[in-house]
Amino acid sequence: MKLTNSLLEILDPRTKIISFLAIMLCMILTPITRMRDFGLYFLLILAIGFFSNITPRQILKKVCILIPFVLFIAMFVPFVKEGNVCWSLEISHWKLDITYEGVWTFLNIIVKSTLSIFLLVIATSTTTFPDFLKGLDMLRVPRLLVMLMSFMYRYIFVLIDEARRLMRARSLRYFGSRYKEQFRAMGYMIGVLFIRTFERAERIYSAMIIRGFSGEILSVKRFRFSSMDILFMVGIIVSLVCIVSGLVNKIEHMRVSGAHLWQGL
Amino acid sequence: MARIIKVSNLNYRYPDGTTGLKDVSFEVEEGETLVIIGANGTGKSTLFMNLMGILDGDGHIEVMGLLLNKINLKDIRRGMGMVFQNPDDQLFCPTVMDDVSFGPLNLGLDADQVTEASQKALALVDLQGYESRTSHHLSFGEKKRAAIATVLSMNPRILLLDEPTSGLDPRSISKFINILYTLKSQGKTLLIVTHDLFLTQEIADRVLVFSEEKRPIAIGNYKEILNNYDLLLKNNLVHQHRHRHDAVVHEHEHRHGYIHKH
Repeated sequence: MKLTNSLLEILDPRTKIISFLAIMLCMILTPITRMRDFGLYFLLILAIGFFSNITPRQILKKVCILIPFVLFIAMFVPFVKEGNVCWSLEISHWKLDITYEGVWTFLNIIVKSTLSIFLLVIATSTTTFPDFLKGLDMLRVPRLLVMLMSFMYRYIFVLIDEARRLMRARSLRYFGSRYKEQFRAMGYMIGVLFIRTFERAERIYSAMIIRGFSGEILSVKRFRFSSMDILFMVGIIVSLVCIVSGLVNKIEHMRVSGAHLWQGL
Repeated sequence: MARIIKVSNLNYRYPDGTTGLKDVSFEVEEGETLVIIGANGTGKSTLFMNLMGILDGDGHIEVMGLLLNKINLKDIRRGMGMVFQNPDDQLFCPTVMDDVSFGPLNLGLDADQVTEASQKALALVDLQGYESRTSHHLSFGEKKRAAIATVLSMNPRILLLDEPTSGLDPRSISKFINILYTLKSQGKTLLIVTHDLFLTQEIADRVLVFSEEKRPIAIGNYKEILNNYDLLLKNNLVHQHRHRHDAVVHEHEHRHGYIHKH
């Protein structure tokens, strides 16, 4: 058990949702050519991380889990994007072109998503999922969506446990070979899982209507903004304005496409 | 004592055609504990579903003086709560508190009343301090107790419990029986479905026995029923199998949960 809660854990979930969304939005709208701004954003995120109880090691560990997914998606962009070719590879009749535009887009995706992932990791390690849902609910996110997410959170583990039990039962009676049969077994398992989930949903719905559910989702726990929340939000907004205004002054730079800058160098 | 539940000639068929209940009739007095026993698949849980109006069988059901129909359904559900056998079906919210306050909120109570009712229910099942715990991370015994709290917070007059002790260890069972005693002393009417004869002996005022034909075959005082060996044997609640008395292993019919000498 932790003895003290960090600032980020004390904050109202709404504060975190709003400020983190604001940071992400600013980051995403910044052109990739402004590398210095991304450095500043990184510093801002580090500063936020400083107010949590999580160690940099823990953050990095979680970030490293997520990065490969982004990398996999972004990997092909430099080869596919059309534009000025900066490097090409020919193997007999195969030809691979890497374009300036492609490289910039690649960097765009990687830098922005990495920073966003850092922010997400900090957010999720300092907010419990139920609190996050309550925050969303109070920010007037449609109730149906919030409820769907809450059911997913509640039952995904139950479902995983059930799937694991099925797999275990199968592997205990499987002694190798007959690979084709295994696909059939897998199919049965998916089917069984689907039917069980479906029937469980019916029982859950019964449990809900018995307790007076009539389609409206109600909730008790209310959060209150404290001076800490206001201070934190003001801090975030001031930092964002500082970073973004540097961008406003040199607005003409935004019009210059990445490719031209590159060639100009 | 006043009659609180009256069921007459209730029949139910599942959509696939199998018989769920066949000509079920019985009455329950206010404040009494009726334990419904029967082997697996004899329609005990189906009866509960019909009483709550989840399944819609043919017949006449009267609860708290109200005929069970679409108009009265809401009022009946206000006064009668049901706890499902599997607590994972009953606890569908992210935290224990969300689940326990779900019912009272739907009853239209204000925030303070909801909190008070929920705290009271959690105290009754000895789960204070569990408010912000995630249901998934509770032990099975804790889940079972939390499931009861979700219904107790609505302060029902009648409580239907489906297999309350199944899957619990001896210590959890005795804890559970304590809770049931408390509820009994509060004057609540309890209907309990089980095949646990130990629980039946501990808590029942009257016992209703379901036969393999999916209908009640006997109803009466718990002593009368539990001492009727033929009846229990015929309905698969007592059976013949090998068991052990210290060094002697032998075979004769006996009731589970009873220690007998030879």
